[in-house]
Amino acid sequence: MSSTALELHNISKVFGATRALSDVDMTVQHGEVLALLGENGCGKSTLVKVLAGVHEPEPGGRLVVDGTDVPLPMPLGTSSHLGLCFVHQDLGLARPLTVLENLLGTQEGGPRWNIRWGREARRAREMLRSYGVTVDPLAVVNQLPPVDQALVAIARAAEQLKQYRERTGATSSVLVLDEPTVFLPEEEVSFLFDLIRTVVAGGSSVIFISHDLPAVREIADRLTVLRDGRVVAHASMADVTDDQIVELIVGPAAAMKATFGHGEGSTLERTFDRTPGAGLEVTGLVGGRLTGLDLSVAPGEVVGLAGLLGSGAEDVPYLLFGARPADAGEVTVHGSAMPLPGQQPAIAVDAGLALIPADRRRDAIAPAVSVAENMMLLVVPRFRRRGVLDNRKLRSTADQRADALDVRPRRTSVPVGTLSGGNAQKVVLAKWLEISPRVLLLHEPTQGVDVAARAEIYRVIKRATETGMSVLWVSSDFDELATVSDRVVVVSGGIAVSTVSGADITPEAITTAVYGAARATGESTITTAEAVPS
Amino acid sequence: MSTTDVAERAGAEGTPGGAGVPPTPKKSRGSWAEKAALPLAWLVLFIVFAALNPERFLSMGNISNILGSQSILFMIALAALLPSMVGDIDLSLGGIGGLSAILVAVLNVQHAMPIGLACLIGIAAGALCGAVNALFVVRFKTEPFIMTLGTGTFFAGLVFWIANSTTIVGVSSTLSEWTYIRVIAGVPIQFYYCVLMMLVIWYVATYTPLGVRALFVGQSRDVAALSGIKSDRIRWGAFVLAGVIAALGGILYVGTTGSAGPSSVGSFLLPAYAAIFLGATAIQPGRFNALGTGVAVLFLATGVAGLQLLGAQDYAQQLFYGGALVAAVTLSRYLRRT
Repeated sequence: MSSTALELHNISKVFGATRALSDVDMTVQHGEVLALLGENGCGKSTLVKVLAGVHEPEPGGRLVVDGTDVPLPMPLGTSSHLGLCFVHQDLGLARPLTVLENLLGTQEGGPRWNIRWGREARRAREMLRSYGVTVDPLAVVNQLPPVDQALVAIARAAEQLKQYRERTGATSSVLVLDEPTVFLPEEEVSFLFDLIRTVVAGGSSVIFISHDLPAVREIADRLTVLRDGRVVAHASMADVTDDQIVELIVGPAAAMKATFGHGEGSTLERTFDRTPGAGLEVTGLVGGRLTGLDLSVAPGEVVGLAGLLGSGAEDVPYLLFGARPADAGEVTVHGSAMPLPGQQPAIAVDAGLALIPADRRRDAIAPAVSVAENMMLLVVPRFRRRGVLDNRKLRSTADQRADALDVRPRRTSVPVGTLSGGNAQKVVLAKWLEISPRVLLLHEPTQGVDVAARAEIYRVIKRATETGMSVLWVSSDFDELATVSDRVVVVSGGIAVSTVSGADITPEAITTAVYGAARATGESTITTAEAVPS
Repeated sequence: MSTTDVAERAGAEGTPGGAGVPPTPKKSRGSWAEKAALPLAWLVLFIVFAALNPERFLSMGNISNILGSQSILFMIALAALLPSMVGDIDLSLGGIGGLSAILVAVLNVQHAMPIGLACLIGIAAGALCGAVNALFVVRFKTEPFIMTLGTGTFFAGLVFWIANSTTIVGVSSTLSEWTYIRVIAGVPIQFYYCVLMMLVIWYVATYTPLGVRALFVGQSRDVAALSGIKSDRIRWGAFVLAGVIAALGGILYVGTTGSAGPSSVGSFLLPAYAAIFLGATAIQPGRFNALGTGVAVLFLATGVAGLQLLGAQDYAQQLFYGGALVAAVTLSRYLRRT
């Protein structure tokens, strides 16, 4: 047995002009849980993809698995032959199939002929039980609660590693868990930890990637923090406080300010008409991962909604708009109240709600349809003349809007799909502003949008708020929220827990509030395994 | 950060949720009632017709007719089953069956080729047609629905060309002998070929790793790909085998009628799909499966034979097949959602 389970040296990765990873070194000891931490976009997932053979690292990097140098780049699919196994956030289970079928369909070896289902089911049940997982192998994955799905996926990976060790006589293997706790209710995360401890006891090391500090505190032995593609710290969990971890993740405040250069934002505190019911009012929203969210946005106000992935923040726009079913709650727009269960997009639009979803290509534009038609979709009746569509007028109106928003190219007859992300997003924005909504709901509106278009989008939205439009802006980009928001509401564990407002709005304040909220309200408050009555 | 205040969260502590693993719904695929619904419906249909017209419906001739006459439909349905199981659809199977039928007839009658060799060539043609489908659908990544509609029309055109738009009669009686004439327990031997084929498909799909992998390809193709399953190879296999089995269906047609014409096997395509969708509501509800398909074929054959005995006109067959397909697709959609 060599001294380490896995070592990475000088791993770099460049995408076009951006350096996703710069000289990353990382070491995983035998039988330890190493937490890999960092903000969105810090390079964690790129690093995982290098390990999985999805991305080729730049020349000069070294990968050492159990003391043996592995030539890089590693061909896709060979990582399992090195004793590396990955469980991603989506778990990689075929959901319409049973647990047993999932176990059999993806295992190497096993029966080659004449599967005896009874025997396999018994064997699977024993295997799962050996990891402390009591799930019926004949259950369909879809019908299992999320925690059991996660447990099955992890147990399957652990079993693959165990078989790898038995097959090759290796004494070490590495299980990579990429955000496994995101979609789990807090009280169930502890089952996952029991499982991870079982895996470690069985002879594997674990790389645990998470935003969830309490979870990391609970399960990890050491941590490695990435920021902007560089390793900023290796430390033993015992040596760092939670506050220090947050600071490592976010970076020193000074450094953050330097990169945050586009802030003519909300330094001036504006005053708003806070008459109840004047703008947007949400009470008791339950649905998705939300458990009772209250929120209000005054006319003309921009409220940023921040939270960790899985906090529920990203569900809010869709639930309010009726794009996903809500279980309870009420939304009031300009004095008229609507129950949220049964909410439908058509009703929402009539009430003056507009939604710009995150997945632009899938949900917001018809890529093959022209810019003009996409832009005017909601107001087509306006261009009816004697029962016939006046295409010329439609196109000239669209041309004016394209001018006003600086959509490039100006030709509104081209399909939207041919535009860049930023220009396509301007078309989406124009489409909704055309009906002068009372409330604009935004989810990651500047994802895949270049800097210039981003500024233009900020400007256009700001101008629309001057006429009294309320804006609810959900984003994982805290720089952006700091720039655009009059107030930032932090969501954690399915409810609004805190507010950052006025001059206090800085990216680091938001980040601290978000991580702090997750810690204080126990986004995944750990009922420790010992404390669980069994 | 003075205004950053963290609210107390009610109920975060002391939730009793952590007591042991939460109860898992012990639901395997489909209840007994679901699995047995179609066989029971078949039984009911059978009893109703038997009660309405006991002498003729329960006669040996009629039962042998129900089991034997629908063998072509049975075989084409088994062909349609394979691409459907792996998440594709093949609408060219009627054309492939027709092509194999006309090849057998032309080679045997006009070129005096021994019937056995002619049949082998017919089967090879079916495999080739299946490979063409796979080439376009799998290799060139096109929509199977519209692509096989196109190739199927093309194959049907070939049939007209080869047949010169006439029906070719006088195919060697040896073929009829080995398909339709010989009976075991009163039922034509071709019915047993179909049952054998059904059992083979059932076995491979249910009891071999290949079957489990095919299931992944059909139900969660992305997961299959990310699990290292060679999806494309499995889909190729399904299309080619479907072509072979459809060709066998065409040969049964030649054996049953002693002839092959420009439009022969094509009319079996729709009832074949009715059968596999109906079959997907039974035995393994929510999945296309071989045993369910077999039961569904019997169901359809019984319904049509019964209606005909009651004096229904030709249109009754179309109404029954069409209605069954609509009902089956609706039902299987519902089953898949749960």
